[in-house]
Amino acid sequence: MPTKTGERDRCATGVEGLDTILYGGIPRSNTVLLTGSCGTGKTSLALEFLIHGAQKGENSLFVSVTEDSEKLLANIIPYKFFDRGLIKSGRLVFIDLPAMYERLGLTKAELSMEEIDLLVSALVSLAGELGTKRMVIDSVTSVCYKFKTSEKIRDFILKLGKALSDMNCTSILVGELPAGSSSYSSFGVEEAIADGIIVMANMERRGDLLRTLQVIKMRGTMHSRAKYVLDLTPMGVLLVPLLKGGSTG
Amino acid sequence: MTAMMSAQKIADELAETPPSSAVSLQMSVDNYLDVIRGVVDLFGNRRQMEIIYVTATISSDAIRRVLEALDIDSSRVYFVDCISHIMMGATSVQQDDRTTLVESPTMLENLMLKVEYLIRRSQSKDKLVVLDSINSLAIHNNNWILSEFLHILVSALRSKEAYTVILTVEEHSTPELNNMVNLVCDHGIRAGKEAE
Repeated sequence: MPTKTGERDRCATGVEGLDTILYGGIPRSNTVLLTGSCGTGKTSLALEFLIHGAQKGENSLFVSVTEDSEKLLANIIPYKFFDRGLIKSGRLVFIDLPAMYERLGLTKAELSMEEIDLLVSALVSLAGELGTKRMVIDSVTSVCYKFKTSEKIRDFILKLGKALSDMNCTSILVGELPAGSSSYSSFGVEEAIADGIIVMANMERRGDLLRTLQVIKMRGTMHSRAKYVLDLTPMGVLLVPLLKGGSTG
Repeated sequence: MTAMMSAQKIADELAETPPSSAVSLQMSVDNYLDVIRGVVDLFGNRRQMEIIYVTATISSDAIRRVLEALDIDSSRVYFVDCISHIMMGATSVQQDDRTTLVESPTMLENLMLKVEYLIRRSQSKDKLVVLDSINSLAIHNNNWILSEFLHILVSALRSKEAYTVILTVEEHSTPELNNMVNLVCDHGIRAGKEAE
């Protein structure tokens, strides 16, 4: 929804550096692809986005695809601002997608178009019942492995993104990339459909491995396109500009 | 014999600078202990500041021992140690929540991130960040990247209303390094052999 000045309402991620990069946050109801190789901090960033939302009274939903959510919570960085009461109160909800697959009878290795519709419908219904304003799917790549074709992947992301957007829900789809990948998504489809793309990477410089973050696109807002270095700390994700040191490369 | 600035004089000069100042403190290797006492004890501790001590010269453990030997209270001192990790166990490091290690002094962004983390974690309104020293960082980094680093670090600290003190060792310094530090600092204190 546009504000009085014509600007779109923002969903502040709560990660100060990222909100600065995005001139205030993700435009509300956008579907953002948060992509990168392993160990780059995607899950931590996505979780922080949800925790800050829940703290502000926005119901938040984490859909875990690859990892049991209990295990995920046990391994989470001991965020100083994380209060387990958010889970008890229902502000922050974790669900395991494999359990949902079982419940819906979606146990085949490849899903049909009808089954994809059923999955989208189940996710949207759940988000609706919970009054979800922030949602994370970690990872969308793992979900897409069950679709096999680009058409099905496109269909799933488009339908899910549209339904969540209609509910004024801002969503982050976590994407997995192989190390050193030059594309932004595993199937080459997700990046074209998402409203925004945030790439997290491991960058080697003179033997040092730095975690980096770069916003490639974000519909509905201006944003920095520079690369930033990040650190995962108990105070949350911190960001500083990548030093160029006069390099021309 | 050349007269060098006393610890009290160093603290007095620092006290004359307004909050959010960035100060270049040029010292001699011979008055390192006076500088430590002046900056950490007589300036930082007296004002009950939380002190973030970035060490790239000697390990945080060694600085701790220096503070102990000088009978300086180190309960408000937090270390960002850029040297212990690359010494590969040659020095013991006290692993506690008051010491944060940076893997290498070449990881200047991580150094900034650790300082940022400690500032966010800090309960104190008044903060002092000591960078010891620009000469040591210059061993591992070229002037371009060091200059960019100083500019970003000092600007960020200024916006957080922290005092910044950048130590320079006059015997090891070069005109380029001095210019680089002077460019980002509001005040300069010469505490070395050329002080008087």
